[in-house]
Amino acid sequence: MAETITEQFSAPLTFNWTLSYRCNFSCAHCYSRDEIGEELATADIRRIVDVLAEKQIPFINFGGGEPLIRPDLFDIAAYATGKGLNVSMNSNGWLLDAVAAKELKASGFKSVGVSIDSAAAALHDDFRNMPDSFPRAVAALDHLHRAGLRSTMSSVISRINFRNFRELLQLAREHQVGQVYLHNFKCSGRGFKNRQELDLSPEEWKDFYVEALRVKDATKDLRISFDDPVIASLPGYDENPLVKGSSCGKLSLHLRPNGDITPCGFIPLVVGNILRDDFDEIWYDSPVLRQMRNKEAKGKCAGCGAFENCLGGCTARAFATTGDFSQPDPHCWK
Amino acid sequence: MKLWRNPDIVWRIEKRREQDILQALERGEDVSGRGTVILIISGMMHQLNLVGGRIWALCDGNRNETEVAAELAREFDAAEEEIAGDVAQFVAELMERGWLRRG
Repeated sequence: MAETITEQFSAPLTFNWTLSYRCNFSCAHCYSRDEIGEELATADIRRIVDVLAEKQIPFINFGGGEPLIRPDLFDIAAYATGKGLNVSMNSNGWLLDAVAAKELKASGFKSVGVSIDSAAAALHDDFRNMPDSFPRAVAALDHLHRAGLRSTMSSVISRINFRNFRELLQLAREHQVGQVYLHNFKCSGRGFKNRQELDLSPEEWKDFYVEALRVKDATKDLRISFDDPVIASLPGYDENPLVKGSSCGKLSLHLRPNGDITPCGFIPLVVGNILRDDFDEIWYDSPVLRQMRNKEAKGKCAGCGAFENCLGGCTARAFATTGDFSQPDPHCWK
Repeated sequence: MKLWRNPDIVWRIEKRREQDILQALERGEDVSGRGTVILIISGMMHQLNLVGGRIWALCDGNRNETEVAAELAREFDAAEEEIAGDVAQFVAELMERGWLRRG
């Protein structure tokens, strides 16, 4: 068996798909809340699913905007599932009642993530700018469990929760969540505007990851995921990611509501449109994707011994703060 | 008994890689370490090389081990008795991992 993964894949493994920018929440860190864009009709969305199935892209994850805002979400998911795709989504949980949970299950969703940013209800509600959003998000987890659908919990690490992430893990346990994603803070959209208030310093990120990795190693009843390439520069870090550096443009791409493709939701560079352009040409020949896959070591990355493992950290953060993919991730502590 | 892939395993043939590897094979290069099929199992990715990937693809519930070996021998223009041992070993390993079953 061949186990070393060094060659480019023939297509992404995952499409993160923003069906709509519309959302019933107005969160302080949201990358897309201030975006406005044309949305596609259900028939066009089905055409996109056909392309993804033809390219054998195994996973799609609906994000947003709030996916449940679209009344055709269940139909789209059922169509994609019927084509052999593995469908998941992330929701703020507000609209995810018992009926919705059953419909999500019936339409073939493999898992559904609910965003919860603090185990303290008032702090979560304040961060999400939505009174009573905490109890509804927690209730959503319970509805998913009762519907027999695997739930995950997504928490964006920021100043409001980085010292209390264990409480989030405990909350997940109490509501039968199998996996918790502790997402790194992205400086995109409102996340960029509110960066000074919400983002951690590089040293704080280092301390957080050292502790969070220790907790992860000691935790057996819950999967904890980070997906932050900057971790690879920690001394002794020995996990083996599927690819080095950022996974966007290598393992995943992002779809906007109008079918435009960007490398990820946090990089606002359109590399093509999935309904108008040849997908293989985009995937293999896009200058933007090629540049992201072949980053140079610039700034303090030049000569840094960790670069071969972290490849400069998060490309989206580097681009948001400097306009250059190859500049160091501003979260880097080295 | 027929050989079946574990339906929980997500997998894909990497078509462009496969083409490149077939060309390399024609040039006489060693391609045994190059993956053509990817498997995603519990969030981890594994790869199968050209021969392993073909065996995997052939285990679709329509063939038993002998029939897989016969098809593989035909595709690679090899003697079936030469290839049967490799197929048996590979199938046994994947059965052990729970990736294949007989039924």
